[in-house]
Amino acid sequence: MSSGERELMLTGIGGQGVQLAAQVIAQGATVDGKEVLVFGSYGGMMRGGNTDSTVVISDQPIEAPPVLSTTWSAILMHHQYWTPLRERIRDTGLVLVNTSVFEDELDADRYQVVEVPATDVATDLGNPLLAAMVMSGVYGRKSGLVSLDGLAEGMRRSVPPYRSQLIEANEGALAAGWEMAA
Amino acid sequence: MSDRALLEGSEAIARAAVAAGCRFFTGYPMTPFTKLLEYMAALLPEVDGVCMNAESELEAVGMAWGAATTGHLAATGSTGQGLSLMQESLSEITNARLPLVVFNMARGQGDYFQATRGGGHGDYRHIVLAPMDVPEAVELTRLAFELASQWRTPVMVLGDYYLAHTYQAVSVPSIEGAAPEVPDWALNGSSGGSGSAKIISPLGGGVEGEEGFDLGAHYAACAAHIQEMSAGVDPLVDIGFCDDAELVVAAYGSVGKFVRYACLRLRDAGHRVGYVRPITLWPFPSKAVHDAVAGAANVAVYEQNMGQMVEDVRLATLGAVPVEFIGGPSWDHSGFGIGPDINVPDISERILEAMT
Repeated sequence: MSSGERELMLTGIGGQGVQLAAQVIAQGATVDGKEVLVFGSYGGMMRGGNTDSTVVISDQPIEAPPVLSTTWSAILMHHQYWTPLRERIRDTGLVLVNTSVFEDELDADRYQVVEVPATDVATDLGNPLLAAMVMSGVYGRKSGLVSLDGLAEGMRRSVPPYRSQLIEANEGALAAGWEMAA
Repeated sequence: MSDRALLEGSEAIARAAVAAGCRFFTGYPMTPFTKLLEYMAALLPEVDGVCMNAESELEAVGMAWGAATTGHLAATGSTGQGLSLMQESLSEITNARLPLVVFNMARGQGDYFQATRGGGHGDYRHIVLAPMDVPEAVELTRLAFELASQWRTPVMVLGDYYLAHTYQAVSVPSIEGAAPEVPDWALNGSSGGSGSAKIISPLGGGVEGEEGFDLGAHYAACAAHIQEMSAGVDPLVDIGFCDDAELVVAAYGSVGKFVRYACLRLRDAGHRVGYVRPITLWPFPSKAVHDAVAGAANVAVYEQNMGQMVEDVRLATLGAVPVEFIGGPSWDHSGFGIGPDINVPDISERILEAMT
């Protein structure tokens, strides 16, 4: 919450690409020359289970510890485990919500809500698993924290070798998200 | 040359260790130490180094001890639990005057006494460094190998789950540099009639009539060396806003970063609070702590344990300022050292309570 430090909390269910999105945004910001911190969930990440992550981005050395109680921004991929995050979003913050699957009320008068039908867009692109990359593209542009080039390079650094066949599709999804945020 | 990259703490430390010249690493997997072992196993072969998965922590510290006698920079590590098994060896390695870096990725902060007092026999101490985050861990890893070589002593880098598993953007030196030259005290395999026979032993050594044969003289030399280290190693400490602070909060390591952040935000809100974060836990920065709290009405110590470093803070302040313990043990279901109480609002609340 110090001047210049921007926090992002991501929540979703295991398999939605929440950890990958956190890595892509964080790697992208690193490529762009920012100071970055990421701390993921630790309780046995599994498909279908709870997954969340915290990213902090700054132009200065990071003051924030790995676990934060409030956040400037949030990416909500799914509603199932989002309750603990609800009160952590600060007033006037930036909230990206995956409207394709998210089913809960948001406090739209308290913070800026950006509705992104990420899973639908990803399905149109040929693979619903690209939803997290669509969301990352939207986040980069809306937050002003990461460039599209940074995101693309961050994605290439984050994708494991056995998934390298997805790099091109991921790039397309990042670009699609970036365009949607215009 | 250094590359800037987003690295998990364990990888950043592993890269910094290899960049510092470490060429031998061994350990037995145990969370949150395991990742460091895995990264060392991936990196060391790239520089013709050796990493071994030991059968136990006892075997790990024994192998590292052996490697250290050859004059190659060696390291091992574990959690506090594994460090319990290594205590006898750490005592002996200290008395054998061997450089060794030990990475203790502890579960919580219950092992401060173990780290700073040591659980082994004898009148020994070794250097202990406690980074608060990944960039500082990179710097302190380099320093650990430097101090180990300079003083021929074990140096412990004390981290935890947060340090091992947080990713941060860091500049890490290239691992492609050459390892330091083997010092002339090292065992090199020559013996017998070569005239180069050597013994490196916690019991001194040598032959009758030569220096080192007398065990009492050896222990006296060890004690003198530890005194010299105690006075000669620069104590490191991070101090903020103590000049006009009513309350100074002391904390170390990752938890120290939470406390530091809480203090910074309380300052923003106008509270006259300062912080002091010891980075060298041995030698403890007693004078700096003493001076930092001199103008304060109270000192509060926050640790994720029942109160251990608080004793060093009390020794440093010698009753000049009341010292209150405001921490406490905190565990989640995993037992890995993640504490539900280790969060900025709860810590801030305890700090504010200590101010009233």
